[in-house]
This record gives sequence, C-alpha cells and structure tokens, in this order.
Amino acid sequence: MQTDWSVVLTFLPQLLAGAKITVQITIIGLLGGIFLGTIAGLMRAYGGRILNAIAFTYIELIRGTPIVVQVMFLYFAMPVLTGLRVDPMAAAVVAIVVNAGAYIAEIVRGAFLSISKGLSEAGLALGLPQWKVLVYILGPLAFRRLIPPLGNQFIVSLKDTSLFIVIGVGELTRTGQEIMASNFRAVEIWTAVAVIYLILTGSMTVALRVIEKRMRIL
Amino acid sequence: MSIIEFRKTSKHFGDLKVLDGVDLSIDTGEVVVLIGPSGSGKSTLLRCINGLEQITSGDLVMDGISVRGGKKQLRLIRQEAGMVFQQFNLFPQMTALQNVAFGPRKVRGLTRTEAEAQARALLEKVGLKDKAGHYPSELSGGQQQRVAIARALAVRPKVMLFDEPTSALDPELKQEVLNVMRQLAQEGMTMVVVTHEMAFAKQVGTRLIFMEHGKISVDGHPREVIENPPSDRLKDFLQHVE
Ligand SMILES: Nc1ncnc2c1ncn2[C@@H]1O[C@H](COP(=O)(O)OP(=O)(O)OP(=O)(O)O)[C@@H](O)[C@H]1O
Ligand SMILES: [Mg+2]
Repeated sequence: MQTDWSVVLTFLPQLLAGAKITVQITIIGLLGGIFLGTIAGLMRAYGGRILNAIAFTYIELIRGTPIVVQVMFLYFAMPVLTGLRVDPMAAAVVAIVVNAGAYIAEIVRGAFLSISKGLSEAGLALGLPQWKVLVYILGPLAFRRLIPPLGNQFIVSLKDTSLFIVIGVGELTRTGQEIMASNFRAVEIWTAVAVIYLILTGSMTVALRVIEKRMRIL
Repeated sequence: MSIIEFRKTSKHFGDLKVLDGVDLSIDTGEVVVLIGPSGSGKSTLLRCINGLEQITSGDLVMDGISVRGGKKQLRLIRQEAGMVFQQFNLFPQMTALQNVAFGPRKVRGLTRTEAEAQARALLEKVGLKDKAGHYPSELSGGQQQRVAIARALAVRPKVMLFDEPTSALDPELKQEVLNVMRQLAQEGMTMVVVTHEMAFAKQVGTRLIFMEHGKISVDGHPREVIENPPSDRLKDFLQHVE
C-alpha cells in the first residue's frame, strides 16, 4: 500500500478549521462546566438537605448516562419537548457544560472535604462568617488540590467533543471523516487527526504541569 | 464580674449526654484549668462557649451575649473569645505574619499595613519576631502553637480558650508555649484552659475544675484541690496524670 503524506498538507487548512471548532467547544464548555461544577460541588459539600439532593440527582443522572446519549437528547429530543430549534454547536457546548460540570462537581466536593475540619474551625473561631472561611481559607487550599484532577477532566472533555460527530458538528473528527469520504486516504488523514489531538491534549498537560509546579500543594 | 455563664447547659450528641446541666460562672481575670478523664466533656464545654458546638438546652452567656442569639451574635462572641487548638490549625498557605494579620483584616476591618504592624508586635511578644516570613510547615510544633496564640490574640479577645495546647508537643517544646500562657495570665487575660499540666495549673491557675460524665464534680482552688483532693476519683485521676 502506498502512502502519500502530501494529502495532509492539502487538507491541513480544513483540518485546522475543524480543530478550531473542537477547541471552541472545549473552552466554552469547560468554562461553563467549571462554573456549574463549582456550584454543584459546594451544594454537595455544604448545602442543606434540599440543595444537596438537587446536586446529587444532577451528578448521578449525568454520570450514569453516556455523553452521546446526552447530546442526542439535547439535539433531537429537546426540540420535540420544548418546540425550540437547537443548533448543533449549541447542543455540543451545552453537552460539555452539563457533562463536565457533573464530574467537576465531584472533584470540587472532594477537594473541599479533604481539607481538615480544624482549619475551618480555626477560621470560624476568629469570628469569620462561613462564606469568608470558604473564600479566604478553604478556597485557596482546595484550588491547589483541584488542579491535577481538573486537568484530567479537561483532557477527557476535549476528547469527548469527537463524539459530537453524531449530531454533525464540524469539529476535528467530523472533518477527518468528511475528507476521508472524498479521497479514502485513511492512514494519512487519521494519523493527522490523531496528531492534532495529541498536540491539543499535550499543550494542556504542559500548561497544567507549569501551574502545578508554581503552586505548592498544601 | 462574670464574663462567661453556663446556665443549666446541656449538650447531647444523639443519645449521648456530653454536658449534663452545667452551671458555671467565670469572672473576668480568672484562669480556669479544666481537667478530667477522656470523654468527660472538657473539649465540648470549651467549644460550646464559642459556639463551635451548639448547646442542646439551657443557656450560655458570654460577655452578655447568648450563644442562642443567632449567627451574628455568635460571630461577636467568637471575636471576644479566642481559641487555641491542640493541633494548632494554622493556615498552611499563609506565613506566620499573614496568619496573625488575617483575623484583624477580615474580622476587624484593619488595613493590611495596620494588621501587619500589629501582627509583628504580637509575634515579638510570643518570641517569634524572626519567624514572621516562615510558613507553618517550616516551624516546630512549639513555634506553630505560639503563632496560633498570637493569631487568636490579634482579634483582641477578652477571653482565651485553650484546648490541650501542649498535648501534641514534645516535652521540651511544651515549656515555651506554657511560658507564653503564663505571661498572658499575668497580664490579666481571662483564660479557660484544658490541660493536664498540673504544675501549670498550680502555678498559674486561679481555679481548678474536675469534670466527670459531663458534670462539674470538683471546683476549687488549684493548690488546695491538688494537694487535698476532695474525692477519691480526683485523687486517682491526679495519680494518673502525674
Ligand atoms: N461531634 C461529635 N459527635 C458525636 N460524639 C461526639 C462528638 N464530639 C464529641 N463526642 C463525644 O462526646 C464525648 C465528650 O467528648 P469531649 O471531646 O468533650 O471529651 P474530652 O473530655 O475533651 O476528652 P479528651 O480528653 O479525650 O479530649 C465523647 O464521648 C465523644 O466521643
Ligand atoms: Mg478534648
């Protein structure tokens, strides 16, 4: 079998356009996921019975179903239920927000609960309200412990975007498949796609290492 | 004048009665030493004063404020009652100086400059002027505990609560902490101290309380009570800690 790596160059602009969409979905989705996950995680750790139950239900619902089913539900079932048209890009972003949010919630909860109760009592004993203890004492400590598992989740979410091929979002994997369908250059194209993913996840890993190095985990 | 008043105070953990109708009045300037067997409720009694544990029944009034008054009242009480823990509980992400300056900044609203100037003076008072820039992990246990005392003092409390402040320390490090506490007592600070350091109790304490099963079983002058235990159980207990 003959390989011709020049096809990669020919289709590089198209592949990079796909990669750009992958990165966009990942970044916007993770920003939303961090926001949602922090709220849900704190509800789990410090909320009363009702807040805790709401967060628990959300987390278990998401962790118990595949992300492909979640995005299919958002894209195909939601319009039927609500009568609203959902565009594929929005469905993809929301799927990452909701999915990463559930996993991040568990990471946030674990990080906060891993901090010794004595530190929060020391803060309270000074006369601080609970929220200041969270913001000034526990938050900064939890943040350091969050970084390694959070980095892991970022990489998982980035790769999860490839599953949105099922709703036709023009991200990297979908782009690869479209090029394939026109020229059948499987080895070259899928190698190129894999390498681009590796570059994306690799840069995330390096960035996280740098942050981790700069902050002592306490 | 009484600054801390327990009125038929009880505390339950589920079915377990840890404080059983305690009546106790502590005056300004007293140094109360609290002793008793493990599980008798010493820590709980201390922690009820600043509301780290919620009382189940009765009342507990600290400087005219009831612990049952609500969140705001509780914060006021905590500003008036500093606490020192067995495990120090210094904030690990902050230097000694930042630990001490933290309370005044966030609770009393001092600026950073004001709070740090005051923190330096307090660190000097506990003999740690040269350790201001060190993180807790870079300090010995005795040094950490002295920083913890300075941190509690920084909020300018009227009362200091100590829960076995030297129990986690090696014998040679205990003294440096006890010395700081002795100095505080001499300055007239009102103190409630859970400790089994009997020499300290005799020398510094103005009052000794022996607790058993959530009740105060002996309450008297330290030297008299230690030299002439009014109950056999206290006698046994004292033999154990010596
Ligand atoms: N948060 C809690 N939940 C349930 N039980 C508790 C709790 N805190 C304390 N207890 C129980 O209350 C009793 C009194 O505890 P406390 O810590 O006040 O005793 P102590 O006199 O300080 O003992 P020690 O000398 O061991 O420190 C013990 O039986 C303990 O197991
Ligand atoms: Mg105790």
